[in-house]
Amino acid sequence: MNTGRSIQLVKNKDSYGITFTAMASPCEVIIQTSDKQLATTLGNTLATEVWRIEDKYSRYNQHSICSAINNNATKPVTIDEETYLLLNFAEQCYQLSDGLFDISSGVLRKVWSFHGNKSRYDDFPIEEQVNDALACVGWQKIHFDQKQITLAKGMEIDFGGIGKEYAVDRAIILAKQLTDSPVLVNLGGDLAVTCARGNNEPWQVAIEHPDNTDNNHTDMIISLNSGALATSGDARRFLIHEGKRYSHILNAKTGWPINEAPRSITVVAPQCIQAGILATLALLQGAHAEQFLEQQDIKFWARR
Amino acid sequence: MKHKNINTNIKAALTLATAALLGTSNVSQAETDSNSGVEENTWEFDSAFLFYSEADRVSAGEAIFNAKKTFVGDEVLNLKLTIDALTGASANGAVAQPTVQTFTRPSGNGQYTVTAGDTPLDDTFQDTRVQLNAQWTQAIAPNYTANGGVHISKEYDYLSLGVNGNLAFDFDRKNSTISAGFSYFQDTFTPEGGLPQALSSMLIGDSNSATWDDDFANTRIGADDTKTTTEVLLGFTQVINRRMITQFNYSYATVDGYLTDPFKVISVVDGVSGLTQDNIYESRPDSRVKQSLYAQALYHFDSTVLDVSYRYMWDDWKIDSHTIDTRFRIPLGDAFGTQSYLQPHFRFYQQSAAEFYQPFLIDGAALPTYASADYRIGEMSTFTVGLKYGLLVNNGHDLSFRLEYYRQAPTDAGFEAPGALKELDLYPTIDAIIAQVTYSF
Amino acid sequence: MRKNIKLILVVPLIVVATGCASLGVEPWERDLLARDEMSLNSTPIDSSLDDHIYFSKEASSGGKGFGGGGCGCN
Repeated sequence: MNTGRSIQLVKNKDSYGITFTAMASPCEVIIQTSDKQLATTLGNTLATEVWRIEDKYSRYNQHSICSAINNNATKPVTIDEETYLLLNFAEQCYQLSDGLFDISSGVLRKVWSFHGNKSRYDDFPIEEQVNDALACVGWQKIHFDQKQITLAKGMEIDFGGIGKEYAVDRAIILAKQLTDSPVLVNLGGDLAVTCARGNNEPWQVAIEHPDNTDNNHTDMIISLNSGALATSGDARRFLIHEGKRYSHILNAKTGWPINEAPRSITVVAPQCIQAGILATLALLQGAHAEQFLEQQDIKFWARR
Repeated sequence: MKHKNINTNIKAALTLATAALLGTSNVSQAETDSNSGVEENTWEFDSAFLFYSEADRVSAGEAIFNAKKTFVGDEVLNLKLTIDALTGASANGAVAQPTVQTFTRPSGNGQYTVTAGDTPLDDTFQDTRVQLNAQWTQAIAPNYTANGGVHISKEYDYLSLGVNGNLAFDFDRKNSTISAGFSYFQDTFTPEGGLPQALSSMLIGDSNSATWDDDFANTRIGADDTKTTTEVLLGFTQVINRRMITQFNYSYATVDGYLTDPFKVISVVDGVSGLTQDNIYESRPDSRVKQSLYAQALYHFDSTVLDVSYRYMWDDWKIDSHTIDTRFRIPLGDAFGTQSYLQPHFRFYQQSAAEFYQPFLIDGAALPTYASADYRIGEMSTFTVGLKYGLLVNNGHDLSFRLEYYRQAPTDAGFEAPGALKELDLYPTIDAIIAQVTYSF
Repeated sequence: MRKNIKLILVVPLIVVATGCASLGVEPWERDLLARDEMSLNSTPIDSSLDDHIYFSKEASSGGKGFGGGGCGCN
């Protein structure tokens, strides 16, 4: 997957912007400095790290560790420490969500296809299909330790729900090692900053309404002095069946879409992966999403 | 959805899980350990070399080295060193003649001849100039930015000292900026051979004769003179929309002192034959008030950028001019090593003549107080076409090349040419090539 | 879960002024304006070299910035 990978450097008035594509998203790194050499070094280092994580954990890449695990269900697959730490994190999210968040729930996509209004009537699955797919879901059926992982037959895992946020956090760690200048890392909307901008001014992040295709319309501005921000949910991915709108958020326990979930939730947290998980866990609460976050005293923005 | 155990502090649990994943507690350790990895360097350097060459006339080389440092509080210090060297021939103001002409060098040391039919050029032009500029910019209050600078330029026969200051105020979400600035220059001119008496005849004869030096000295009024330039510049900048920004300036400048070109003469010709009877040193007023209006717009298309400006300038010498300058930046590649752009450039300039401009004087007519045959203050149009190619080389530094063609075309403002002058080219065009390399690091 | 939001990063906090609603942009709409090539004097080195040439060859100078004196070339 190394073809077509490149970085663009753009000089802004008081900063450099480095843009690249990774994980099927537009990515950018902004560093508030006038040192072009530093900006270039930083951009290269961070993009390389993001691409490394993409190559290692993408389920679309046949050479990734993710594919190796999925293609060898029932057999033990050797893993390294980083993979172990990610699996361990996924397990804790599974426990914390009481099974609602499950990185093995990806096989449900085989029966659910969410393409907004284009979904045809006959795409809507029948209960039997859902139950068949659900048989291959269940984190509790996966066994792993520091050295290896073994999936049950027909199972697959998918790091899609945490990979991008993890890459943001890794990039921020590397950025802090390289420089004291303020840096922002934005991987397709999941982002984090190393510190406030010069003169302690916050980074201003504008979030466009997901429904809005007019590029000039933005209706949410978030000032970020430190930490990270992640968004879950996608208004363009849903399906309508018999007049009812089904979100693409699936309950890993039932195999059916979550009802009355907000269309998207944006959460602020010290680390991007925390923000991402909190946003996702909130969506899984359906109608109680906002209540869930409020009870946890978490700063968030929800769209319904 | 049912959600039990809502009291579980998920946030705290996640923080622990995240720390385990990212080694967050170790990261802060690493932070302090690895700061020495890359030294922050906030100096930015630009270097450029330009070569300018006119066909059969002057050639000049100019090198610029610019260093800019941005400090923590966003103060900016800009230091610029410019060195240029000029050599070659320059029009001395006299008209071409059907016979060979002899002129005395401005220094009084020797003479030179000009072939019949040729525009008289003085080939002794040679000068080296060193210029230093320092500029300081800083915010002095919210929305107020001030900057000030000093300038010194020294050539063999010329010294220029200058100061400038500017205050800008931003408002309406920084979409609008008004600014006011002033500058003051004091220039001292000490040409070799001194300053000639205005409208006196150029001494022609045997420069080896015993009386030559005294005779030449009699045409001189002194060794040096000064000129001051005071300028006020008012500006208004307005962001129109996400893609467009505009600027409008008004400038008022007064120049006082010695404004004559001591190297230039004007031919006094016979009103019938057109043959030169005498060459007298030119004479210009000792003050000039210049005003200008300037408008510029930048428009960002999807990837290209159009930069258009227009300037209208007028002065109390009755010169007015129009300048249109336009650049169009076209990005080419986007791979890291080959990110590059092309930028065509077109400039058009047209000026009317100063009221005392005359290509020649008629012998026997009353001598005007002011007269100059310098084509640069006569009626003229010029254009420039150019192309710049810039690329970001591997280590992220900008490298650019610029090649331009510049044509000056003096035009006849309706002066009736007598006799032989009808057959001669009194308004020769001048073609020049401009080549430049710039490297920023 | 895929996210599909667009982010635009903007320069420091700006006091929102009243009036002039039709002109200007909000701080977060400065992505293009913030680029180097959109600054009113994006190539100061070229400008100063050009100014020197045209100052010494033509009767007009300045306008964009100070026309000034500075050399004995005119």
